[in-house]
Amino acid sequence: MSIEALVAAVVMWVVFIGGLSWCLSKWRGGGSEWEE
Amino acid sequence: MAELTRERWGKRSYFIFAALGSAIGLGNLWRFPHLTYSNGGGAFLVAWMVGLLAIGIPWLIVEYGMGKYFQKSAPGAFEGIGKKWEWLGWWPVWVAFLIDTYYCVVMAWALRYIVSSATVAWGMGTAGAEGAADYYFGTVLRLSGGPGEIGSIVPELLVALAIVWIIIFLVVQKGAASIGPVSQWVMITAWVFLVVLVIRGLTLVGATDGLNYYLQTDWSKLASGDVWFAALSQIAFTLSVGMAGMYAYGSFIKKRGDVNNNAFITGFGNCATSFFAGFAVFSVVGFLMQTLSVPIEEVSSSSVGLAFITWPVAISMLPGANALFGIIFFVCLFLLGLSSAYFLAYGGVISPLMDKFGWGRTKTTLGVCIVAFAIGILFTTQGGLYWGPDILDRAVAFYGLLITGALSCIVIGWVLPVSRLREFVNETSDFKIGPWFDVLVKAVIPAVLIFVLVYGGFMNDIPNSYAGYPRWASNAIWGTLVVTLILSFILGSMKTKGRAD
Repeated sequence: MSIEALVAAVVMWVVFIGGLSWCLSKWRGGGSEWEE
Repeated sequence: MAELTRERWGKRSYFIFAALGSAIGLGNLWRFPHLTYSNGGGAFLVAWMVGLLAIGIPWLIVEYGMGKYFQKSAPGAFEGIGKKWEWLGWWPVWVAFLIDTYYCVVMAWALRYIVSSATVAWGMGTAGAEGAADYYFGTVLRLSGGPGEIGSIVPELLVALAIVWIIIFLVVQKGAASIGPVSQWVMITAWVFLVVLVIRGLTLVGATDGLNYYLQTDWSKLASGDVWFAALSQIAFTLSVGMAGMYAYGSFIKKRGDVNNNAFITGFGNCATSFFAGFAVFSVVGFLMQTLSVPIEEVSSSSVGLAFITWPVAISMLPGANALFGIIFFVCLFLLGLSSAYFLAYGGVISPLMDKFGWGRTKTTLGVCIVAFAIGILFTTQGGLYWGPDILDRAVAFYGLLITGALSCIVIGWVLPVSRLREFVNETSDFKIGPWFDVLVKAVIPAVLIFVLVYGGFMNDIPNSYAGYPRWASNAIWGTLVVTLILSFILGSMKTKGRAD
């Protein structure tokens, strides 16, 4: 796999995992509570 | 009163799975990966993320928030702004209804292929690779020569379509109470199957060559209007906004429930799934390039061509367990489509009708499923591919969605106004959104949707007939829009009885 493709893949996964982690950190109840 | 009696999601997770299920559909698998490859890889991804943050997520907040604020589906929400705006809530209901009529036919094809995969009916090895297109067009669709030749109904597809609608009826007949738990299992199963497909793809020879094509970056393309058009239109179409259903799903959120965080989770989750699906698609593309010794242009495709030709070719060429991976792929495709199909049926059509006329859920569900199935029969004919997933898709999923989406944001932005909605969603959400949201809803989202509408639609379809079809067939697009608009005004002018539950 080329470096260019690898960088694109890593950056995108950082964005997605970072974004979703941020959302869960904001979740009332500490981020792990699925019930309301 | 509505707060006490309206149906609710049993758990917050049920809403998130249902919302993710509605957003994640066939397009995540068959449209996004090819768009990325053909629009500059990383450059496209940048434009796409800008679109997600500036268009997609704010639009989700608008639709969830409007449903929650007015405790109604789309027409009732616009009626809440003013009776004269109710038609604007009915137009996307027609969009949802008509999309579902042909979307379920595509799912019927997937169901047909699940059966065919058990024996790899299109053939094994290079014979199968050469015969996959003929199998799809000749054996499965029995495709006619054009939209002027409807031909006869294909019995296998008719039976498969009936099965699809029976499944949808069973899923939605208890409303949010059944949609939530079903969505949870549908999405988890689909993701597991997608993981299996990605692992299988990445372990094939040539996989990395395919991924290099998928993610190769041409930054100069960021200066191209085509790339921004592709990225922004993909965002507009991928989140299932503009199809009425998200208003209803939002209206089922509990009184103290979040809106903003749920919209961000839905947006990021949907786009992460698209990006992940690209690894399954392009690893297989690389495998085919190597094993068939062909250039990427011959094996990289989108839409039905990817799902029903390229993928069957790959299944024929796999070194082992061909039938198993064929079944896994088409079951995954079916599940991704199913959660979107019942969202369109229930959130998009059934819930608005219940809100308006006070009809019972079972009666309304049965009626909608039967009528949609009856219309869908047209698309199980030999000419069905032209009329359903092509011409009608252009009318409602492109023009209908964009026009109603732009008008909705303008009315919500300026007439409601949107600052009222923002204050409302901020009251119960995990985090607050600022005045930037108002600017996006009032100006940016409508401007982008109008750009996509003009640049990708009117500029092509007015001087030339759509997709090279005869002018009379292409004009069916404008006819559909006019008829659904008139029907929306009629429904909007009728007295609202209110939901019985």
